[in-house]
Amino acid sequence: MGVIEVGRVCRKVAGREAGRLCVVVRIIDKNFVEATGPKELTGVRRRRVNVKHLVPLPVKLDIPEGARDEEVIEALKGTDLYEKLQKARVSG
Amino acid sequence: MLSVNKRGTRRRLKKVRVAVRTPGGRLIYHYKHKKHSYAVCSCGARLNATPTGPRSVMSKIPLSQRRPNRPYGGNLCPKCMRKLMVASAVAEGLALLAS
Repeated sequence: MGVIEVGRVCRKVAGREAGRLCVVVRIIDKNFVEATGPKELTGVRRRRVNVKHLVPLPVKLDIPEGARDEEVIEALKGTDLYEKLQKARVSG
Repeated sequence: MLSVNKRGTRRRLKKVRVAVRTPGGRLIYHYKHKKHSYAVCSCGARLNATPTGPRSVMSKIPLSQRRPNRPYGGNLCPKCMRKLMVASAVAEGLALLAS
């Protein structure tokens, strides 16, 4: 699967949520993953996402597979990205 | 006989003259609205899901039906939008790696 793995922070590049950050929480198959913003943070709903619509960033969170949104937020609080995400939420 | 009616609304440049042969055999002008141009991306591609028409009609259509619901929807075609997004995301990733 390369760099797209559970906990990877990505930017969506297609569709209505393009330009927003999200976190991979589960690998469905070689084309699809389940990703979440989480929604209250970046506006990206928890949903199935085509891997082609994601650009991975060099940040990986320590979360279990299928982590709940609350767990993802907790994990994000330990990184520099958290403030950035909150800013993104205010502007968008 | 083809004669140009220059009175009133017919004088407007907005209208386009079309020569029409009537059933009686006369050749006359019909005054029609010019066609509205299509919305295009900066790359030249026609934008999907962007209806065209007179402003009186367009203003009655809800905004959600006038352009795609995505960043740069109604301004950039999906291909150009994605190129832009990928470029900025890659640049962001490189910046994060460097820091």
